[in-house]
Amino acid sequence: MNTLQTLLGLWEDTGFYNATWENIIMILVGIILVFLAIRYSYKPLLLIPLGMGVILGNIPFLHGAAYHPGIYQEGSVLNYLFFGVLKGIYPALIFLGLGAMTDLSPLISNPKLMLLGAAAQVGIFVTFLGAMVLGFPMAESAAIAIIGGADGNTAIFLTSQLANGLHATGNGMVIQNLIGPIAIAAYIYMSLVSVIQPPIMKLLTTKKERLIRMKPPRTVSKFEKILFPLLGLLLSAFVAPASLPLLGMFFFGNILKESGLTKQLANTASTILIDIVVILIGLTVGASTQADVFLKWQSILIFVLGAFAFMVATAGGIMFAKVMNLFLKKENRINPLIGASGVAAVPDSARIAHEMGLREDPTNHLIGHAMAPNIAGLIGSAIAAGLLLGFLL
Amino acid sequence: MEPLNITFDPSLIDHYSLVITFAGYLIVLGALAIMAYFFTRLHTLQDFLKKRKLGKPGDNEQEQKTKVVMTGEENAAIAAALYLFFSELHDEEKYVMTIRKVSKTYSPWSSKIYGILNTMKHW
Repeated sequence: MNTLQTLLGLWEDTGFYNATWENIIMILVGIILVFLAIRYSYKPLLLIPLGMGVILGNIPFLHGAAYHPGIYQEGSVLNYLFFGVLKGIYPALIFLGLGAMTDLSPLISNPKLMLLGAAAQVGIFVTFLGAMVLGFPMAESAAIAIIGGADGNTAIFLTSQLANGLHATGNGMVIQNLIGPIAIAAYIYMSLVSVIQPPIMKLLTTKKERLIRMKPPRTVSKFEKILFPLLGLLLSAFVAPASLPLLGMFFFGNILKESGLTKQLANTASTILIDIVVILIGLTVGASTQADVFLKWQSILIFVLGAFAFMVATAGGIMFAKVMNLFLKKENRINPLIGASGVAAVPDSARIAHEMGLREDPTNHLIGHAMAPNIAGLIGSAIAAGLLLGFLL
Repeated sequence: MEPLNITFDPSLIDHYSLVITFAGYLIVLGALAIMAYFFTRLHTLQDFLKKRKLGKPGDNEQEQKTKVVMTGEENAAIAAALYLFFSELHDEEKYVMTIRKVSKTYSPWSSKIYGILNTMKHW
């Protein structure tokens, strides 16, 4: 082999030689995400790992080479890290951290608000049918629909099980790998809560309804705080065993917090552990958007369906609150704005309901009430994911 | 990129997918409704048990009536003690400010004229 051939081989190994316009587009997308995060402080904890992951996953390389740098190439470092996504390990660990940092008192003090969190899951099931009408196979439809749950981890968990490119339908049709598009759509819509929800909230409520003052929440005893995760765990595990990795970890984390005896474990789960997992999940999900998997017209359809799911979920929560008001005494009425918090984007959607309430009446603080359907939404979307898994696997 | 191929075919929704949709939604709603019901009842039960522990209104009064017996001397002693205590209290100050003028007598030790800087000038 002469020098020229060696240099030519080296050139063919470089990213410059192997770059396609799809790679360049995706790298630009990654740079934009990082730019948005750093320049405008827009969800930096999420967008910096995600954006860097998109760049990392789209660096062009020679596919036939002896080394394997790509996320989808068996044995590569990224592929090992991606294992946590494929097997649903990262979402489960994030749920553990969430449980360890969540105070369930708003939910326990006014249990009827749990129904709002359940009602908002209508977005998932309506979108499931919508995706089927548009020609997606059932498993892919379920994975797309879960974007309506407005929780990125639940979306990654369900997609990694149902639409990971490893399964096939009954008629031999291969289920596509949709982890990248679905995760990105879920995270983007979660960060766009403040843009998507307010117009729907305003459209579906009257000024009089937005001014409703709710009774202050009562004090919750320690006994109730410990009983809730135990009962929640048993009920969700019995109803939808497939939701166990998510809700089992969530309630376990909550017990660590509420027992008062395992403070250091709760602290680790809610700080160091969750931070490590956020780094890994953000990076690997970003890297999974390799151009040949991500840049498809279908991805755009997924984004459209995701937005639809999110909007239906918001509307579902608000309308259910209005229906509940028909049956409640005047002093127990619910401000329908908090119905929108039934989508699980914790705590952003609760904050939006609070801000919308303050805009109408600067002394009406809804955050304490809105957290209840918000947490119920998180639990409800995980149960829905477990049910869809149970039905479709 | 592959060409976009969008279909819109409601007949793709089969019986099974409808079952998943309705059963799934109702189960989510039902599961959270059960939890809501349980915790509403639990609070009511807790209230009931707390009230039961405290007893009926009037129970303690009756008990006290039978137990507490005080003589007139004891009452008088308590009343006198209370009177003395409250008469000693200063609820309000007089709000009169007194400014006392303090005149400083001259001393060469505090004199500015013989300060250290002036001494330096003589050198």
